[in-house]
Amino acid sequence: MGGTSSKLPKDLLSEYQELTFLTKQEILMAHKIFSELQDRENGLYSSRVSMEKILTLPELKSNPFRKRICHVFSTSDMKDGSLSFEDFLDLLSAFSDSATLEIKSHYAFRIFDFDDDGTLDARDLEKLVNSLTGETDDTRLTGEEMRQLISNILEESDIDKDGTVNLSEFQHVISRSPDFVSSFKIVL
Amino acid sequence: MAHLSYFSPALANQRSSKVSVGPAESWSSDLSRDSCEYYQTEIFGLLPSSQAHRRLHAETLADDQDQSLLDRVSWNPSVPLRDLPVCLQDKRDIRERQPLQRCSIGYWDSWRRSQQKTRRRLKEHVGGAVSGLLPWRHTLHKIEGDCSYASIQSYELNLCTKLEYPIKHLRIKHCFHPGIVLKQPSMFESAAESGQRVDTKPRASRQQLPRVPLRDLPVCLQDKRDIRERQPLQRCSIGYWDSWRRSQQKTRRRLKEHVGGAVSGLLPWRHTLHKIEGQFGVGVKAYFVFLRYLLCLNLLYCVIIAGSVLTPTLVFAQNSSTHGSLGFQNFSFKDFFVGSGVLESSPVFHSFYTRGSLDLDCLNTPILFLLGMFSVLFLSIIMVVRRTVVGYKHSWLTGNRFNSNLSYKVFCGWDFCIQNPQAASLKQNFVRNELRMDLEEQTFQQRVQQRSLRHWVQLIFLRILLNVLVLVLLGSSFILIHFAIQTSQTKCENHWTLCLMLEYLPPITMTTVNYILPHVFSKISEFEDYSLTIQLNLTLIRSIFLKLASLGIYLFFFINAQESPEQHKCRENAFGKEMYKLTIFNLLECFFNAFCVAYPRMLLVERFPSSKLAQLLGKKQFEISFNVLDLVNSQTVTWVGVFYCPLLPAINTIRLLLLFYVKKFTVVRCSVPAQRMFRTASSSVLFHFMLLLGLFMAVVTLVVNINRFDQGGCGPFEGNRTVFTVTSVCIKTLPDPVQSTISYISSEAFAFTLILAEVVILTSYVSRGRANRKAIERLKDMLVMCSSDKRFLVKQHSTIMRRQQRTR
Repeated sequence: MGGTSSKLPKDLLSEYQELTFLTKQEILMAHKIFSELQDRENGLYSSRVSMEKILTLPELKSNPFRKRICHVFSTSDMKDGSLSFEDFLDLLSAFSDSATLEIKSHYAFRIFDFDDDGTLDARDLEKLVNSLTGETDDTRLTGEEMRQLISNILEESDIDKDGTVNLSEFQHVISRSPDFVSSFKIVL
Repeated sequence: MAHLSYFSPALANQRSSKVSVGPAESWSSDLSRDSCEYYQTEIFGLLPSSQAHRRLHAETLADDQDQSLLDRVSWNPSVPLRDLPVCLQDKRDIRERQPLQRCSIGYWDSWRRSQQKTRRRLKEHVGGAVSGLLPWRHTLHKIEGDCSYASIQSYELNLCTKLEYPIKHLRIKHCFHPGIVLKQPSMFESAAESGQRVDTKPRASRQQLPRVPLRDLPVCLQDKRDIRERQPLQRCSIGYWDSWRRSQQKTRRRLKEHVGGAVSGLLPWRHTLHKIEGQFGVGVKAYFVFLRYLLCLNLLYCVIIAGSVLTPTLVFAQNSSTHGSLGFQNFSFKDFFVGSGVLESSPVFHSFYTRGSLDLDCLNTPILFLLGMFSVLFLSIIMVVRRTVVGYKHSWLTGNRFNSNLSYKVFCGWDFCIQNPQAASLKQNFVRNELRMDLEEQTFQQRVQQRSLRHWVQLIFLRILLNVLVLVLLGSSFILIHFAIQTSQTKCENHWTLCLMLEYLPPITMTTVNYILPHVFSKISEFEDYSLTIQLNLTLIRSIFLKLASLGIYLFFFINAQESPEQHKCRENAFGKEMYKLTIFNLLECFFNAFCVAYPRMLLVERFPSSKLAQLLGKKQFEISFNVLDLVNSQTVTWVGVFYCPLLPAINTIRLLLLFYVKKFTVVRCSVPAQRMFRTASSSVLFHFMLLLGLFMAVVTLVVNINRFDQGGCGPFEGNRTVFTVTSVCIKTLPDPVQSTISYISSEAFAFTLILAEVVILTSYVSRGRANRKAIERLKDMLVMCSSDKRFLVKQHSTIMRRQQRTR
């Protein structure tokens, strides 16, 4: 692959259409935006775009979970959250409006699992709530409220009473809310 | 502890020869998976699930979390003591402990519980007496003793197989897809490493892999490619039929997606709604989506009416003098607003649709008119019921509508469509406020539990007083509307603008009342000391009642009024004119609201933020519920009036189109997002139900009106040709078997049979639901047991590992 190829080869395009939930127009739009991000990097044409560049996208800029999203979808060995074009497509596919509830809930679970241990324990939940309400001191919940909230969440969703929320319990909670699919969406 | 030596590697090596030496492999014991040898190990007796029935005597408890299991089994006060599977002494201990808890319960709950106990005892006495009277008890008992063993065994087997499936899930805690176990417990390894493990899976689950479409797998693209490469190797073992079927499914799915994409591409205003959603959230977008839905519905009505009502009349019109162009010279501005003059003999109103030259027995303009109108109403019923049921199923799934569910608020709390930083901080504010409100509600509930009797009496008295106040307000507003209607009927001699105002007095009164009173209701409900959700819903219910009832009174008045015959020769037209006036006035009111109330208020707050008035008013919030109520109200008016003013859907379509842009202007320029987050799923059920109520009211009014206008003065049903005669003439021309079928279907016997069949089907569904709920409870208990077993085993394992490392 030499130079900045601005066109996507046809067989790759059809393969992406088969393996993701994106339509042809969405894939081409993603390719255009990704190429712009790549061109903005000072330096050689690299196949991965660093996390800081990805976070300048308007869709991700105001999202409190933006760093977690990059880490979850990144397949780089250095674990630095950089995304290749295919990682970017994975991201858009999981957040598209034709993705199934199972896919979305799976990725949501991984995004909310801040310490990557496969379960949501009290520390993960606390970080999640802080991301939702705002990170500054005057926007956080007080310690007492946080304790009450986390004990309520665990009481409601921890079915096997082991103190953590695992994937099945998370999916059980999500499946009861029909608004999740419409709010867990990023459209370019 | 001697029993733990079973798991030490030395002993394991002695027992079996194929165990390898490494610490990780020492777990592969020689207990075969299929035989149940592990039930006979010593450690099985120590597992928490085996100990659960013995725990009640325990002096000290090792785990805090096991305490909760203990509490659930033994401390649940609503379970009668007889139902506990413990010995007599334990039951006595529990009963002693129970009164200590009762002080924190409250008088109301304890009284209710004692009532339940008395009722239960009475039921048991009566049941015992009745079964004592039954004959052949002894014979049946003997028969049962011989034959029951086989049935019990088969029942147990069934239950075991049913419960086995969820246990398989629990064994692998991090398994995320039942069809593919590509990644074992350490969740996020790459596919290359775990690729070898796929081959160790039994054949059955490997064949399950290709059934899931590749897109639905939650792995990265490269992993999907690897899986796809492996798939053709497996396909030879599948067979041509399966692969053909699968490719057909794929093509069908793609076709469905294409069609869905094309249809949603046709929907207008997608970009606008996307922007609004990003700025104001999902709730406001839901309002605009509802508006667009009503617009499409009205457009559909226009098409139906144009095809079945308008076209035949225009094509087969008799050239009579009433269709002359007498009006065009005398057209005045007033006619547009009141519907008189040239509009009266135009296609807008009922009188235009006379019986034309198409005069066959079963195919004439009146029949087509009827068919068109009834198909409009029938279509509305189907679509609204379908939307209500779908929404109801969703909100039933979320559990109690009025209780807060904190977990899904936290897990589904963030709206990923937001792109604007201000919108993001706004959303964070919402979420924080919502969580705080729910936590406060919880402490509120706890406070409610501790209310004293005197407080309760005071509160009930206050609530009754406030409800009486609400009724008084409703009653006075109805009287006001009645008075306005009566005044508008008097003949006016003044200038035409004053006459116009007089004619419009009823709609003006209704709109003013409908605007002011809901705000008053929301203020009143603050004093009633309910939780916030109940307050909101109570206000909504009262406002719904106000709007529908005021419309109902309006119609009721017209139905009962005694008009002088020469003033209204054509009573159908008069009725249609009222509905027309209501619709036109709705449009005027919305313009007025946007440009003369909301925009100046916004300008005031922006230009003079420090003035007292601006601080008092504040920026207007877009109140979604009240706006949706307005939409429902106007749609009800359309349904009521469509029979007598056939072009009303067309007028409504134009009105909705203008309304969209006016509301968009109001939202984007003049409002701030509401402080309280809008729960789309639960409240939309309420709105669709209101739509259904409005439709019901429209149908009732139509039926009453058809009966009333027996001798029609104008239109397709004038003179002797009423609705009933026209239809009966048509039915008589049909062949005999069809006639007898129709008469059978419309008889009472058929209706009775239908209702009976529905009751039987409903009962079977309800009992199935109940049985499922019991099974869910049992499964939940099993889950808790299995999880505590697992924790126990993990602890033992780590203890052994530590001991091994120490001894090395």
